[in-house]
Amino acid sequence: MRGPSLRRPSYIEICKGGIFVSKKGMSDLAKQEEKLALKLLIPAFLILIIIAVYPLGQVFYASFTDKKFAGTEETNFVGFKNYDKLLSFTIKELPPKIDDETGKQVVDQETGKKVYKSPIYVLPRKPYLYRPINTFKLFGNKYVIGSADSKFISSLWNTMVFTVCSVLLETLLGLLVALVVNSEFKGRGAMRAVMLVPWAVITVVSAKMWEWMFEPSRIGLMNTIFEKIGLGNGNIAFLSMSKFQLPSLIAVDVWKTTPFMALLILAGLQLIPNELYEAARVDGANKVKQFFSITLPLLKPSLAVALIFRTLDALRVFDVFQVMLAQKRYSMASYNYFQLISARNMGKASAVGVIIFILIFVFAVMYIRVLGVETE
Amino acid sequence: MNKFRENPVKRTLFYLVLIIIVIYLLFPFYWAFNSSLKSESQLSMTPATFVPRDPQTKEVDFFWKNYKAIFANGSFIRGIYNSTIVATCTTLLALLAGSFAAFALGKLRFRGKTPSLYIILAMTMFPQVTVLTGLYAVINALNMDAILSMIITYMLFTLPFTTWVLTSFFRELPIEIMQSAQVDGATPFQTFRMILLPLTAPALVTTGLLSFIAAWNEYLFALTFTSIDIKARTIPVAISYFSGQFARQEPFGEIMAAAVVVTIPVVLLVLIFQRRIVAGLTAGAVKG
Repeated sequence: MRGPSLRRPSYIEICKGGIFVSKKGMSDLAKQEEKLALKLLIPAFLILIIIAVYPLGQVFYASFTDKKFAGTEETNFVGFKNYDKLLSFTIKELPPKIDDETGKQVVDQETGKKVYKSPIYVLPRKPYLYRPINTFKLFGNKYVIGSADSKFISSLWNTMVFTVCSVLLETLLGLLVALVVNSEFKGRGAMRAVMLVPWAVITVVSAKMWEWMFEPSRIGLMNTIFEKIGLGNGNIAFLSMSKFQLPSLIAVDVWKTTPFMALLILAGLQLIPNELYEAARVDGANKVKQFFSITLPLLKPSLAVALIFRTLDALRVFDVFQVMLAQKRYSMASYNYFQLISARNMGKASAVGVIIFILIFVFAVMYIRVLGVETE
Repeated sequence: MNKFRENPVKRTLFYLVLIIIVIYLLFPFYWAFNSSLKSESQLSMTPATFVPRDPQTKEVDFFWKNYKAIFANGSFIRGIYNSTIVATCTTLLALLAGSFAAFALGKLRFRGKTPSLYIILAMTMFPQVTVLTGLYAVINALNMDAILSMIITYMLFTLPFTTWVLTSFFRELPIEIMQSAQVDGATPFQTFRMILLPLTAPALVTTGLLSFIAAWNEYLFALTFTSIDIKARTIPVAISYFSGQFARQEPFGEIMAAAVVVTIPVVLLVLIFQRRIVAGLTAGAVKG
């Protein structure tokens, strides 16, 4: 069903007649095509050279130094120290606290839980002081996760949870919205505009607006509604209680960026020829089968690109964390901001930037491989 | 795709899903609109009211002064003007450079295609804060004014986006169209301009709209580059400097009023261009 036109031609086909048919022969033709390609790339690369080379190069360079932001202090080259400190973490077993008299593990009188020694006894102090991030139990033993920069490691974790949840939800919802908007009904034109409204609201303002909706009293919409349907006492502190923080932010982000996904998927749907659906209908394939055998496979390239850019934005998430959680909880980018602006550690902030860069790169390559997008 | 005509049950279900989606997408915006029509005392009522009401009598009572205040504020109008220029130029430049690059990357054969794609993507993989100091140095060295600085630096996130999306579109276009155009005597560039561009209208409009909104909403770069040139402030920066005519602290009502007002031009823009989102690739063009 899928004609040869929809895939890249093989070498043989190129020789038989590539994009540009020439009577003179292959090598001439290839050269002509390559020349045109390079010419067409000039504007993009010119812009790239002007605005990207120096700032990006500077970030890489600064990440290996102890440079201070907006200061006159001397800058030293420190090698991988920034990275080492940011990424060092360890898992240690916590020894039980032993009662001197009985020789048995101490049990808390009130809670009845076994007591363990404080993490500071087992976490390393050199070359950096490790701080506990979290503890967990496994096979009856208790362990502690410690790291040299506990705020960064938890920001990494926050960002990952945020990215995976919000991108997944946005993709599913975006797909649903795109499929709905792609069908024929009265008012679909207006619907396409409605679809983009959340994306159109200025990000900084939308974060403020949601902060207002999440107010810890019934001034806020969420508490008003929750109380009406009998959940909570109308005073839930969504943004202060740690178990509500990430879900709240994910809800905001899903609302805000589903339109982005939906619009890109909607554009991708236009690439699927209608004849395919007609042929499938003749073959007796139902809607669900059509979706899985035609829509989804042919949507893969568009979906991959949409996913790359969505994930890229989610991994760099800044506004919602900065506005709604301030310094209660960090994303990698808001930790980066804190390090640069408040702590003036430009070297360290740059290293955070490079780590985000590498993570995004890994995700991008993964999408391209898994969804089988051609880059050549 | 007239799938819903046949079956009334399916049709009802479809409209139900549609309505739920509309409510989900629009309700928070409605809440902003609702808040923009409330005074300080109405905003702090508990429980929050779904339409502005008088705190004592509970009668419906709209407070229009937030809107009056933002339009009386010269920096708001100026911000709309600046944002329009910046976002329009950014979009056009990103579409122009992006579609050229995408044609090469999606349809032409040359060495180094994969590295080129990744290098272009790499432009946008750093958090904005990290590259800000470097960018500021570049802007100063080139001695650009604030408006131009924003247009150029916004390429950092719009150009990779337009290039990648358009490349994926060009790649899917049938090669036969280009071949037949060439046989008819069109130069490669004519083929690009007269055949390919119209066919990729959905992608151009989509990426154009998304880039426009991204530029319209950008805050951090705008804040930095207009710090000296106050007249060049764009909308998000202007709003963040609202000091409030009535409010004691943050003028929340005015901020919401401004948010509602500046969303309208974007919605109008989408309404104008939306038809093109689902045009484009016509089946007939391939068969021709």
